[in-house]
Amino acid sequence: MEVYPIVNLKELHEKKIKDILDKKQVWNLPLVEKDANIQEVLSILTARDHVWVVEEKGKRKICGVITESDILRLIAPHRLPKYVFGKRYSVSLHHGTARKACDVMHKQIITCSPEDKVGEALLRMVNAGLRRLPVVENDEIVGEITTHYIIQILLGKR
Amino acid sequence: MLLEIGVALILAKIIGYAFEKVKQPAVLGEIIAGIVLGPFIAGRIFGIKYISAETEGIAQLGIIILLFMSGLEIGVEEIKAVGKNGLITSLFDVSIAFLFGYIAGNTLGYDMRTSIAIGNIMVATSVGITVKTLMEMKALHTKVGELILTVAVLDDVLGIVILSITLGKGQPLMILLKVFIFFFSFVLILLLMGKIKNIKFHIPRLMLTLSLAFALIFSAFAKRLGLAAVTGSFFAGLLFSVFPQRRRIIEFTRGIGEIFFIPLFFVWVGASFDFYALKDMGMLVLLFVPMALIGKVIGCSLGAKISKFKTRDALAVGIGMMPRMEVALVVVTTEISMGIFSDALAHQILAATILLVIISSILTPILLKIVKEKASTSQEG
Repeated sequence: MEVYPIVNLKELHEKKIKDILDKKQVWNLPLVEKDANIQEVLSILTARDHVWVVEEKGKRKICGVITESDILRLIAPHRLPKYVFGKRYSVSLHHGTARKACDVMHKQIITCSPEDKVGEALLRMVNAGLRRLPVVENDEIVGEITTHYIIQILLGKR
Repeated sequence: MLLEIGVALILAKIIGYAFEKVKQPAVLGEIIAGIVLGPFIAGRIFGIKYISAETEGIAQLGIIILLFMSGLEIGVEEIKAVGKNGLITSLFDVSIAFLFGYIAGNTLGYDMRTSIAIGNIMVATSVGITVKTLMEMKALHTKVGELILTVAVLDDVLGIVILSITLGKGQPLMILLKVFIFFFSFVLILLLMGKIKNIKFHIPRLMLTLSLAFALIFSAFAKRLGLAAVTGSFFAGLLFSVFPQRRRIIEFTRGIGEIFFIPLFFVWVGASFDFYALKDMGMLVLLFVPMALIGKVIGCSLGAKISKFKTRDALAVGIGMMPRMEVALVVVTTEISMGIFSDALAHQILAATILLVIISSILTPILLKIVKEKASTSQEG
């Protein structure tokens, strides 16, 4: 069976992120502020597979991300690694140490800018083992590139 | 050598897992695996010679990776976030633990350098066993649990800084100059990394290779300055903790470290254990172990008390900080390799540190439960 790509991949790779971003997306981003209660984070994750964490409510300065797999680690039976350093392994829902979004989030985030090429962003996702990148301009999140989103573009649904 | 390493990995895994099953640290199991493979058991029965230049080389790499991992996990951001209470308690903790070690060495009649080296061993805490106990007691989220976790962050950093300052080679002024050069370079590189951390490259696994290579290069730099190599690897870990790829670097380092290099370091520590050293170390053990335990309890409790903790809670913080494990063993082996202890004393100090690891791991959960239960009873009453 022949496969007919709806979108030319080479052309897609050369496009800029800003050219494929849905302008409406910015209003529909999953966002919480860093001091948000963990309940609020979990509530968003019932419908989305990640949440971007911003410094303050109403502002878009990004400071972290929480993904489904972070939550999976929190709800699975807690196991400490053999060699324990720092505070990371003590964060637990069961033991009451995961209270706010900032307790759980990844603080260092890999981003892309609206001016980056789609191909570069995808390579960054592959190299870092990520399924999503925030699109950041002047430290503020203006959109996101996810695997789902790219698949929708490939199938001509966007 | 290949056979010995293969057997060592399997034994370390099995005995380590068995220890975890009985709620003891896997590290102890790995040390026991080393004792089994060492000259007194497998060496005598099967003629195996585990200690060699090759296994020592692997153990040294294990130390570098362990401390690099420690720096990465502790992280610059987390150090910045340590509050006033954490800082006060850490300073009391580290200075009193060090002082007690120094006094123990001095009382035993050792010279200043040896006494300082003993002080260094007593500084770094390993909170793995405390975290497990607090989890069992459902007390990890309490003020006591939080303070223990915070103090443990600074504890390793200050321990490594003290190690660098006290064990440098040469004239005191030269040592201070070298320590200054090291930390100045650290700050410069940290600033530089802040600028370049978002530069985008597309070479697969570039950051992973770079981070490991840098850990080795920075360790060599520290060693060249006359400081311990572990100082370099720990601070290299801190430097790489600012990168967006931090979590991935941790996973990669834990992967190669936990599977191969770090267990082989602990096996090597166990295999270096000399049973003959036990017979001449009566006074050393009698002073070394209690001073190490009491120093931590007094130092941390005092710091916590000054930070306005109730007496019993402050005592619980002190007891929770008693366990010594990975970093204490790294410090003692580093000091031995630097030639600070004479041959016989080196075996005795290593044996005493292993005993400290075992005793502190057993005592901490018991004492912590007693203190916390009494605290709850008195609150209910």
